Amino acid sequence: MSATPIAPTPVSPTTAHLVGRRRSARKRRAGRVGINALALLVFVVMVFPVYWMVSTAFKTGPDIFGYTPTWFPIHATFANFGDAIHRQYFWRDVANSLIVVVAVVIISLVLALLAALALAKFRFYGRRAFIVLIIAVQMIPLNALIIPLYIALSRAHEVNKLSGVIITYLTFVLPFTIWTLRGFIIGVPKDLEEAAMVDGATRFGAFVRILLPLVGPGLVATSIFAFIQAWNEYIIAYVFLSSPTKQTLTVWLASFTTNRGTAWGPLMAAATLTSLPVVVFFVLVQRKIAFGLTAGAVRG
Amino acid sequence: MGQIEFQNVTKLYGETPAVRDLTLTVHEGEFVVLVGPSGCGKTTALRMVAGLEEITDGEIRIGERVVNDLPPRQRDIAMVFQNYALYPHKSVYDNLAFGLRMRKIAKGEQRRRVEEIARVLGIEDLLARKPAQLSGGQRQRVAMGRAIVREPQAFLMDEPLSNLDAKLRVQMRAEIARIQQTLGVTTLYVTHDQVEAMTMGHRVAVMRGGILQQVDAPQRLYHAPRNLFVASFVGSPAMNLLEGEVVRTNGGVSCKLGQAELELPAGGSPVERYAGRRVAVGIRPEELSEAGADARARLTGRVLLVESLGAESLAHLELSATPLDRPELADLAAPSAPLLGEATATVRARLAADTRVRPGDIVDLAVDPRKLYFFDLDSGEAIRAAESAVPTAVAG
Repeated sequence: MSATPIAPTPVSPTTAHLVGRRRSARKRRAGRVGINALALLVFVVMVFPVYWMVSTAFKTGPDIFGYTPTWFPIHATFANFGDAIHRQYFWRDVANSLIVVVAVVIISLVLALLAALALAKFRFYGRRAFIVLIIAVQMIPLNALIIPLYIALSRAHEVNKLSGVIITYLTFVLPFTIWTLRGFIIGVPKDLEEAAMVDGATRFGAFVRILLPLVGPGLVATSIFAFIQAWNEYIIAYVFLSSPTKQTLTVWLASFTTNRGTAWGPLMAAATLTSLPVVVFFVLVQRKIAFGLTAGAVRG
Repeated sequence: MGQIEFQNVTKLYGETPAVRDLTLTVHEGEFVVLVGPSGCGKTTALRMVAGLEEITDGEIRIGERVVNDLPPRQRDIAMVFQNYALYPHKSVYDNLAFGLRMRKIAKGEQRRRVEEIARVLGIEDLLARKPAQLSGGQRQRVAMGRAIVREPQAFLMDEPLSNLDAKLRVQMRAEIARIQQTLGVTTLYVTHDQVEAMTMGHRVAVMRGGILQQVDAPQRLYHAPRNLFVASFVGSPAMNLLEGEVVRTNGGVSCKLGQAELELPAGGSPVERYAGRRVAVGIRPEELSEAGADARARLTGRVLLVESLGAESLAHLELSATPLDRPELADLAAPSAPLLGEATATVRARLAADTRVRPGDIVDLAVDPRKLYFFDLDSGEAIRAAESAVPTAVAG
């Protein structure tokens, strides 16, 4: 290859540098505006249905059914909430939902913590296979399992009982919670428990005083997950719980749609009420999700 | 305060031995450093004392008690971990007080002891902070404090300085040695850094492949290494090791290193037994100097590199001699770069700071034949007269 010497255009290096920098700064600003606009769009798309639900709950009949959409409930009313609360089975089903959720959250946390401890701390035959299995079962769509689950539960006389639904929810909440907690436990250095044991704690004492507080954020994260899953689940509850006194809130919401149409106002009010506990629970516990709590334990 | 005693201690992981037949006593108030390359079993030995690792065979005593089957909390020892292992969710105060609380010591006494230790270590201002808000050196101090405040029978330290930067390490090294001296607590200290071992320990135990090689005072370890491994491991820069031949000359014995022939002092040198055989020859870098006109024993080499260290210069030279090639030296010996063909070895010499030697120069180095170390090529053991033999590794 012959080297052809090319004379460089005599541009002052500082000028070229400045121009380049100004151009790249402009490009960067444009990029940032673009990303922000996109984020705003995503935000609007996600939030709008929630806003529409809440605003419709406060609207009067004409505002709901009018051909021109009412973006903001100017003539706000609480009548829809009254209708929803006084509808049959509301309090009964609130209680049912609470029983299911509390049971699922507590049982799943206890079982998952123990299982995750075993998976994270002990070497046993089949451990690897078990871990793979935990991921694999999450790939099976829930809807495909409804019929086999129904048959299995009906043989065990667990259909149309809250306990049957609780067991079913646990089957799909547990794999995720075990997997997540295992990650949190692995993240706590072994040295910490050993230090506690040398310092005078028993193995169990080291677990309670050192490991448990450090896995706390994981417990919070998984309990939120379990809460949301159990509270919002519809299909299983709808199929397995046939009598209205045994239903959960999500199934009760479906009762607003009848042969004569859908009572949109009360339905949206009921849906808003149903969403509230999840929001409240999240707000209460989210401050505890302080990731990276183990920072400073060991050199990072 | 008590002594720590290993008696024929063995640890197997499955079939693989991590520690083999270790017998060693750390006397009351003594500071013993376990040193060796990674995987030599030193940390395993320490963890067995702490009760964090089961003992496969043998006995460990702390004070008068056999502790083989005691859980860590009943052994009355304190440990400083390599990663400090501070409890991240607890404040510095609670970290320090944890051990006292576990031992149900009264609140007032807890406070008094924690505050006293904090003052000694200069961390009084940090008591309310969490470990994440501390610098590396401060964390190190807290970890030390957590061990000291317990007033245990013995300290166990697992490479406590390895996470600090070089400057802080030197500072903390002195501080730990000082604290140990003041408190007089029996201490077993693990490190892979031989400089740390030599500067801190009353005695140093060198391990390799799970086997104790030699236990001795640092000076003795340096001047009378029992075998090739200890010779190459102890000292910085490391001892130059070459292969030579012992030959009988008229009236005495000489050592042939390449073309050079160094006449050994007359008078029953133990190396005489090796006349006509090849041996490993060790020369400490400080025993090599630029040869004056009167120097009788000299080695000639070509300078590859001169590193100026301020107070001295470290010259790397290439000699025509056979480099020593043994498995135990693989990760330690000076790299031999055969630039001039097969039979060249690289040696390092500590020269005066104002040396005029430059890379590429051919220089003569003076050697004092009395300062040579000889090792058996088959066993790797030091060749020495029967009476001057170092006491067995089962020291103390």
